[in-house]
Amino acid sequence: MQLGHCRFDISKGELINQETGVVWHLPRAELRVLTLLVEYQGKVVAKPLLESGHDDDSHFSSASVARAIFTLRSFLGPQYETLIETVKGQGYLLRHHRARKAPDNPGVNISKPLVFALLVVTGLAGILMASLWWFNQSSEAIIPAQPLSLETVPLASGQQVELVLYSPSKTNNELLVEQSQQFIQGLQLCSVTIWSRVFLSLSHDKQVLNITLRGDHYGQSLIRNLKISDLRQPKQFVTPQWLAQLNICSTSNGRTPLAAQAQETNQ
Amino acid sequence: MTRKGLWVINIVVLVSLLGCMAMIYSLSAKPANFMLSCSSELFNHEVGVADSEHYLLVDLVSKDGLAQINYRYYDLQGNSAGTISMAGKVNKVDTQRQMFDIAVTTKQENVGLKGQEKPEHYEYLSYISGIHLNKNGQHSLSVQVLERDDTKDYAIVLFQPSNTVCGCRLVH
Repeated sequence: MQLGHCRFDISKGELINQETGVVWHLPRAELRVLTLLVEYQGKVVAKPLLESGHDDDSHFSSASVARAIFTLRSFLGPQYETLIETVKGQGYLLRHHRARKAPDNPGVNISKPLVFALLVVTGLAGILMASLWWFNQSSEAIIPAQPLSLETVPLASGQQVELVLYSPSKTNNELLVEQSQQFIQGLQLCSVTIWSRVFLSLSHDKQVLNITLRGDHYGQSLIRNLKISDLRQPKQFVTPQWLAQLNICSTSNGRTPLAAQAQETNQ
Repeated sequence: MTRKGLWVINIVVLVSLLGCMAMIYSLSAKPANFMLSCSSELFNHEVGVADSEHYLLVDLVSKDGLAQINYRYYDLQGNSAGTISMAGKVNKVDTQRQMFDIAVTTKQENVGLKGQEKPEHYEYLSYISGIHLNKNGQHSLSVQVLERDDTKDYAIVLFQPSNTVCGCRLVH
């Protein structure tokens, strides 16, 4: 039987303060009074009944009962002493205890199964969340391509041009490397060029060589893309004659007048 | 149960809820919108024939998870030599690595003037995308931004699986 923060063990005749751990072995009068109050909890127990003994013929005086009520209230403490209510002219009443209504409850009684269920639900939600995060991360894990090589090409004027190669494979790149060397040879014929960075990539089926030139002209970025298809064998995407047509040594926008005119018309 | 224990449970539940909200947001977040415009000069070296030249304009638009790619081909005189318009969706976005995975589900092709030579790139793209669409129902490609400068409105991107580097204008 729970009375505030105390537990009443009728069989042992003890009242145990669960916060402090103090065990009070109840004297006869207190045990008799509290047993009757518990037995008739919520109802008024008349004084004559409280004063009557149990099985034996013992009898408690009115003062003994009043003292027992006083000591019981004292043990329950100021927080719960009102559980035992005096009904004037009639007797005493043990009120039903409701922990929620306690004005300053130091601890709330929640059943262990409820706590366990709460923790299980929280754990499952955590696992679900982690699974979703992992799935989301793994499904979005697009592996970025890394350049095959990065080379700096010095020109006669001291200008340096960066050459970046991209390949889908780390091996079998002879054709791409060979064509990049052809391009470097052509580039080194220039004393100066407007292009500062060159990207070369060979399509996965080795049919198309892509060259992207990037430079700056009066603070404006310049870009030129060249896509060369060659179905011949052996392939010669980059040749000195073709490079000469490209005008890569230009210090303006790099395009031939005809090419620039055609592009502007289209755009 | 003590008040301290209840606070621990409350905090665990609160953190779980916040985590779920963050997860829902990340899963439902719409991919970034962007538009790239790339112009290229096409060269075709052939046996015993003079090199042919064309121009190619590629517009790649990603908006609200949908993708549109238009390939427009022109000859040296500025006449249209064919167009391929592809539409699909942006499947995955890795904003940290600047990568976009696009699945093209439909395409429309228009050849140039009658009797006009089709660019080799047009033939190649039409053939490859046709095979993928007929076989898998989609033509997949990814775009990786290698270099980008928003102040100068350009980006160097790498298209996969074709392994094509291309310099493009960022259109705002």
